[in-house]
Amino acid sequence: MSATGREPGQDPEPRRHRDRMIGLFLLAAALFNPPLLGLFGVEGTILGVPALYGWVFGIWAGVIALAALAGRTR
Amino acid sequence: MQIEQEAGLDWAAVLIAALVYLSALFAIAHWADRREAAGRSVIASPTVFALSLGVYCTTWTFYGSVGRAATLGIGFLPVYLGPTLLMLLAPLLLRKILRIAKAQRITSIADFLASRYGHSPLLGGLVALAATIGVTPYIALQLKAVAVSFDALTGGGGMGPAAGPFLDYGFLIAAVMALFAIVFGARQIDAAEHHPGMVAAIALESVVKLVAFLAVGVFVVWGLHGGLDSLFTAAAARPELARLMGSEPALGSAASPTPGAAPGGAWVATTILSAAAMLCLPRQFQVMVLESVDERHLDRAVWLFPLYLLLINLFVLPVALSGLLAFGGRLDPDLFMVALPLSGGAGWLALLAFLGGLSAAAGMIVVESVALSTMLCNDLVVPILLRTRPRALARSADLAPLLLAVRRIAIVAILLFGYGYFRLAGSAYALVSIGLISFAAVAQFAPALIGGLYWRGATRRGAIGGVTAGILVWAYTLLLPSFARSGWLPAGFIADGPWGIAALRPYALFGLEGWDSLAHALFWTALANVGTYVGLSLFDRPGSAERAQAAAFVDVFQPEGGMPPQGTIPQAPPDWRSAASVGDLTRTVARFLGPQRAERAFAEADPDEPAGPERLRLAERLLAGAIGGASARVALASSVSTGAVEAAELLRMLDETSDVIAHSRELERKTAELERATDALRAANERLTELDRLKDDFLSTVTHELRTPLTSIRALSEILHDAPDLEPAQRQEFLAVIIKESERLTRLINQVLDMAKIEAGALDWRIGTIDAGQALAEAVAATEALFLERGIALAVRIPDRLPPVRGDVDRVIQVVVNLLSNAAKFTPAGGMIRLEARPEGGVLRVTVTDSGPGVAATDRALVFDRFRQSGDALTGKPAGTGLGLAIAKRIVEHLGGSIGVEDAPAGSLAESGRGAAFWFTLPLADRGEDAQPPSHCPEDRHEA
Repeated sequence: MSATGREPGQDPEPRRHRDRMIGLFLLAAALFNPPLLGLFGVEGTILGVPALYGWVFGIWAGVIALAALAGRTR
Repeated sequence: MQIEQEAGLDWAAVLIAALVYLSALFAIAHWADRREAAGRSVIASPTVFALSLGVYCTTWTFYGSVGRAATLGIGFLPVYLGPTLLMLLAPLLLRKILRIAKAQRITSIADFLASRYGHSPLLGGLVALAATIGVTPYIALQLKAVAVSFDALTGGGGMGPAAGPFLDYGFLIAAVMALFAIVFGARQIDAAEHHPGMVAAIALESVVKLVAFLAVGVFVVWGLHGGLDSLFTAAAARPELARLMGSEPALGSAASPTPGAAPGGAWVATTILSAAAMLCLPRQFQVMVLESVDERHLDRAVWLFPLYLLLINLFVLPVALSGLLAFGGRLDPDLFMVALPLSGGAGWLALLAFLGGLSAAAGMIVVESVALSTMLCNDLVVPILLRTRPRALARSADLAPLLLAVRRIAIVAILLFGYGYFRLAGSAYALVSIGLISFAAVAQFAPALIGGLYWRGATRRGAIGGVTAGILVWAYTLLLPSFARSGWLPAGFIADGPWGIAALRPYALFGLEGWDSLAHALFWTALANVGTYVGLSLFDRPGSAERAQAAAFVDVFQPEGGMPPQGTIPQAPPDWRSAASVGDLTRTVARFLGPQRAERAFAEADPDEPAGPERLRLAERLLAGAIGGASARVALASSVSTGAVEAAELLRMLDETSDVIAHSRELERKTAELERATDALRAANERLTELDRLKDDFLSTVTHELRTPLTSIRALSEILHDAPDLEPAQRQEFLAVIIKESERLTRLINQVLDMAKIEAGALDWRIGTIDAGQALAEAVAATEALFLERGIALAVRIPDRLPPVRGDVDRVIQVVVNLLSNAAKFTPAGGMIRLEARPEGGVLRVTVTDSGPGVAATDRALVFDRFRQSGDALTGKPAGTGLGLAIAKRIVEHLGGSIGVEDAPAGSLAESGRGAAFWFTLPLADRGEDAQPPSHCPEDRHEA
C-alpha cells in the first residue's frame, strides 16, 4: 500500500508521473504501429541490421528508457 | 518431425537434467515459502515482481516466436509491443486494479468481475468457464512444445508418444507441474494470500529462459555466422529470406492492399489483443495483481518488464534466419532454438535451450492452473455446492479440506484436459494457433474490466451480456474455424459458410472480406461485446448493492474509499439481532478458513452477542478472500440463517448493509460540506458580535462622556436655583463653569456627529488643491487662546512657500486643531509645543511636538482609537472627549495620508519629559489623485 490513500491524480507528483506515462503511451502507440512503422520497411541496413528491425528495437529501447526516466526524475 | 542432422543427446541424460532442474524449482519454492514464514520475504522486491511478470513469455515465445518470425518477419513483435504499451499505462490502470483487489480481497479475475458487478455468481461462473475453455488448449500447447523439443533434442529416441498414452513426456511434465501447483499454489485456503514459493520459482524461471535465449542467440550469431552483419548479408542473398527483413510479411503490402482492408490489420489487432491478454490472462492477473505485495513495485516493472520482453526477443529474427539458412524447409522453425546449437556441435547449449523452454512451459502451466483452479473452485463449484447442497455444507464444521480438495482436483483436471487436448489435437491447426485464439478469448473480459473501473453506470446485466456476446462471436469467428482447419468440421464451413450461407462465413462475417482472420474476429467481438455491454448498461437499473460495489470500485482512491471506518454504519434495525450471533459468524468463518482465523477475527466479542452489520461485513470480507466475493455472500447467508431468518432475508440485509455504507459515504461528504458552511457562518457571526460589542462600547462611552458635563451643569444650575441669595462672585463663577461645560458638551456632540458622519461616509468632502500654510495658520489662530490660558509656548516652524496639497481645507484645519489641543492637554504649564511642516517625498509632513510625558510605545497604536485616553496620567481626569485623535486619523486617511506618533527627537524641546511627536502627511497636489504617501514611522527612533 502506498503511503497516500489518494488517487494518483490528486497529488501533484504522482499526477505528473501518470500524465507523462500516458503521453509516452500515446507516443509509443503511434510509433509501434502502421503507418509510421511501415515507413521503415525499406531496403538497407543500420549498422549491419535491417533498417526495420533496427528501427523497431531502437524505438522500443527508447520508450523503455523514457519510462524508466519518467519514474526517476519527478 | 524428422531431425536429419544427428542423433542428439542421450534421452536419459536429458530427462535427468530436466528432473534435476524441476527439483531445483521445488527447492527454490520451498526455500521462498520458508523465508516468507520467517518474515524475510523474497518476493517483496520490485525486481522479483517484474521478473515474475515474465510468465507472459511461454514456450510460445521461446519456440513459437522463431516460428512466427520465419514466416512473418518482424510480425512476431506485436505480441510483446502490446504488453509494453499496457505497462506504460500502469500508473493509471494497474495501480487502481491493485488497490481494488487488495481492498476487496479479490481471488481471481472472475472474482474481480463478479465483485464489481454486484457480487454476481452468474458473471463469475461465466468468466471462469470462458477462461478455462479459452486457456486450457494453451496449456496443451506448452505440453506439446516440451514433448516436441525433447524429441528434437534426443533425436526422437527413448519414449516418444508411441510409448503409450500415459508414458510420454507431455504427461510426465503435466504430472510434475500438477504436483508443483498443488504443493505451492493450493496449499492454503485463503486465495487472497500470496504464494511466495510459486512466485520465486517463476522469477527464477524467467531468468533461466532469458539467459538460455540470449546464450543461443549469441551462439547462433557469433558462433555460427561470425556476427550480425554476415548473418544478415547471407540472408539477404536469398530472396525468400530477404523478404522477411522488410515490412511486407508483417504489415501487408501497402502497394496492393486488399480492397476494404487496412494494411497491417493483423499487426494492430495482435497488439491490441496482446495488451488485453496481458491484463486479462488468468496467469497474468494472478502474478500482476494477486501476488503483488506492494503497488510501488509497479514503478520498476513499468520499464523492467518491457526491457525483459525486448531482450528475450532480440535474437528471434537472427535465429529464424539462421535456421532457415541451415535447414531450409526441412525442419519446423519452432525447433530452431534447439536444433541450431545441436547441429553446431554445442550439445550443452541445446540442453540449456531445452531447459529454457521447459522453464517457459513450467511457469505458464503452474500459474495458469493455479489461477484457473481458484476460479473454478470459487466461482463455479462453491456457488453450485452452496445452491444445491446447503444442508450438507452447513453440517460440516470445517470446509477448508473440501475447498482445498476441490482446487487440487481442479488443477489435475485442467492439466488432464490440457494433456487430452494435446493428444487429441497433436499438430492440428487448432493447437498451433491457440496462442492468439486464447488471447482473443480472454480479451473479452477487458471491456467489462476496464469499464468497471471508470464507469459507475456499468451494470451486471451489461457485463454478463457483453462477455457472453463476445465469447459467442469469438467461438464463431476463431474457435470453430480452427476446428474446421483441423478437420473436425467440414472445410466448407470456412469456405462457404454453415449450410452454404455465404453471409455467415466465419472469416468473412456478413461479407466483411479481405481481412486478416484475427483482425476480423477482433472487430466483430469488440462490436458485439462493447455494444451489448454499453447498451444494456445504459438501459439498466442496478440495485442498491450493485451500485454500492460500483462506487467501491470506481472511487477506490477517494479518501473514504474501501471499507468505511468503524462506527460509521448506523445501528441496524432490530431484526438483525435475531439474525445472527457472533458465535454463528465464528462457526461460519471457521468452516471455510479454519478455526484459528475465525477465533482471531472475533476474539474480542462474546459469542452470544448479536453480530451486527460491522462484524457481518468483516466475515464477508474474510470469506471473500477464500471463496470469492460472490460465494462469500451466499455462504454467509445459507449458514448463518439457522431458522430465525431466511437466507433470502439475510442476503437482503447484506445488500442493505452495502447500501447503507454507500449512503453513509454520501452522507459524510454532505456533512463535510455542511461543516464548511457552518464554519463560514460562525466566523461571520463572530465578526458581527465583535462589531456589536464595539458599538455598545462606543455608546456607553459616549453617554458617559456626555453625562460628566451634564452632571456638573445640572448640579451648578440646581445650586443657583435653590440658593437665590448666592454671592454674585460665586454665582458668576458657577455660571462660567456652566458655560464652559456646555461648550464642552457642544464640542463633544459635534465631534460624535462628525465621527458618525465619517464612519457612515456621509460627511461632505470638498477635496481640492489647498494652501497648506494658510490652513495651518488658521488652526494656530483658533487654538492660540488655549495656549495662552494654559501658559504654554507655541513655536511655529513653517517654510514661507509650502507646495499646495490635496485636501479639504476645513478638515485639515480640524486635524491640526485636534492635534494642537491634544498636545496642549498633555503639556504641563510652562511647557512648549512646536508645529512644523515640510514637504518630503511627494507628501507634506506636519508634525506637532510637545514636551509632555510622551506616549508609551505600547499605546501608540491605540491612541487613535475612539475614547482612548492616556491623558488621565497627567490630570487625573479625562481631559478631552477622546474623539479628537480618532477623528484626525479618519480624516487624514480619507485624504490619502497617514498619521502616527513617535518620541520627540532627543533634546529638541523637552527639558523634563520625553515628549511626543504627532505627525500626519497629506499628498502634494502635483502628484495627482493616486498618490500613495510613504508611511513615516521609523521604528529605530523610539529609543532615541
